[in-house]
Amino acid sequence: MEFSETAGDLQPAPAVLFRNVTVKAAGITILEDVTAHAPAGGCVAIVGPNGAGKTTLLMALLGQLTYAGSITMAVASDGASPRIGYVPQRLQFDRGLPLTVLDFLVMGEQRLPLWLGVRAAARRRALSLLASVRAEMLAERLLGALSGGELQRVLLALALQRDPDLLVLDEPAAGVDLRGGYLLCELLERLRLERGFTQLMVSHDLGTVTHHATHVILLNRRVVAEGPPDAVMTPENLSSVFGLHMGLAGLNLGERHGCAVCRQEDPHA
Amino acid sequence: MPDLSWLYDWLTAWAPCACLRAQFMQRALLGLLLAAPMTAVMGVQVVNFRMAFFADAISHSAFAGVALGLIFAVSPDWTMPLFGVAVGLAIMAMQRRSALPTDTVIGVVFAAVMAFGLAIVSRDRNVARDLQLFLYGDILTITETEIVIQAALLLAIMLFQFLAFNRLLYIGLNPVVARAHCIRVALHQYLFAGLLALVVMLAVWAVGVLLVTALLIVPAAAARNFARSAGGMFWWALLVSLTSAVAGLLISAQDWARTATGPTVVLCGFVWFIASYVAASVRRRVNP
Repeated sequence: MEFSETAGDLQPAPAVLFRNVTVKAAGITILEDVTAHAPAGGCVAIVGPNGAGKTTLLMALLGQLTYAGSITMAVASDGASPRIGYVPQRLQFDRGLPLTVLDFLVMGEQRLPLWLGVRAAARRRALSLLASVRAEMLAERLLGALSGGELQRVLLALALQRDPDLLVLDEPAAGVDLRGGYLLCELLERLRLERGFTQLMVSHDLGTVTHHATHVILLNRRVVAEGPPDAVMTPENLSSVFGLHMGLAGLNLGERHGCAVCRQEDPHA
Repeated sequence: MPDLSWLYDWLTAWAPCACLRAQFMQRALLGLLLAAPMTAVMGVQVVNFRMAFFADAISHSAFAGVALGLIFAVSPDWTMPLFGVAVGLAIMAMQRRSALPTDTVIGVVFAAVMAFGLAIVSRDRNVARDLQLFLYGDILTITETEIVIQAALLLAIMLFQFLAFNRLLYIGLNPVVARAHCIRVALHQYLFAGLLALVVMLAVWAVGVLLVTALLIVPAAAARNFARSAGGMFWWALLVSLTSAVAGLLISAQDWARTATGPTVVLCGFVWFIASYVAASVRRRVNP
């Protein structure tokens, strides 16, 4: 997929452009020749079965692993290099640490050691960040005592702290119940429109993707399809990636069958 | 030798009990009041980084450090702390690079430095007797030079804690997220390991190889139970450590006790820990 100057006239430059990205680990090709883009200001979902390389693509974007090809990001509106906010799928941390949510949000920003207290300005900033993710009531709670959904929102607040141009989320709805996942998506959509960042997320939840994403990258080691949700999430595309009868009652059986199909397809890939 | 007589005069005037009128007791009190805050605040990060075993390995390298001094005919006052720092940095470098689990790497180095120290010492019976001092330590024989060195190190440690506390907390929580937040993880880890090694080696003089880790771990463990915030953990560790040090010294000097100072200090810390454990259990029951 090429981006010519004429395409730039119709829509702004993409926030992220993956060109021929290939990742190999221990002789196995995890991503092969991935060329895709994330339109600026959009909500981009990366969808695909387990082992499709979704998280790998994010890690390449975050510079956590080496890859062939190129990943370019649009410069920020103020001309600075783009800032990325990252919300990990789950944070591995020491849950016994006596650390409040406020401490957690302040410790990366404030130079004054926390044992001399939290500066009023830092506290105000942290509280307004928490309010923006509807978590202001969590400020004095211990980080280790939060539920999955609460922790997710605190991590989101942390990712928003440096006013990112690109917000990267790995399975934002994992470990959150259905209602929580729905609320999180609503929240993200509102934040995205308010703050104007580009949202790039990996998701398993196809329902969420069809409702909220403005652009979908269907990935199965290679890009199977890319574009607006209704153009990408067609029964043909989904069954070719996830297996037959996607979305029907016999989902489990279908998924198992689907994985077998994926493995059979690999030699031809 | 620096003149500390003004301090002793002040202490004699304010001493809460007769036992503190003796100058060796005053020196011991000073030594403990300098050592306790260092081990307390560094202990907070030792617990957060799960480095108790690391500290143990450093303290046990004291034997090898002294042995090196004997071989090269250099004062052990120099070789012991320098060797401790070298061992600390070496373990840190190996555990960052090696695929082996951290405790395995430390265990290997621990064995090597212990074996080296014992091998040298076994050649010379006279040295073996001196090494008793390292096993149990003796705060009552602390010299004024050592007090001045401790004061200098305490200043350095407090400066380090002032500048790096928040970052160390971040690294302890999750190094990957800390790196994503532009924190220089490796630099902080090496600095911490080097300073911790110095603190451990100085504390060996006071309480001996066997009890150094206790001085680091016990106040921080109690602080973790008491504290409800990151800053609280720091202050609780200081409070527990300082009160244990003073109480331990005073109790050990009483006629009815007549115990060694180091172990008495550690036992006072342990009483604090039990109290903190009960407090944490009650809090969990009241507010699950």
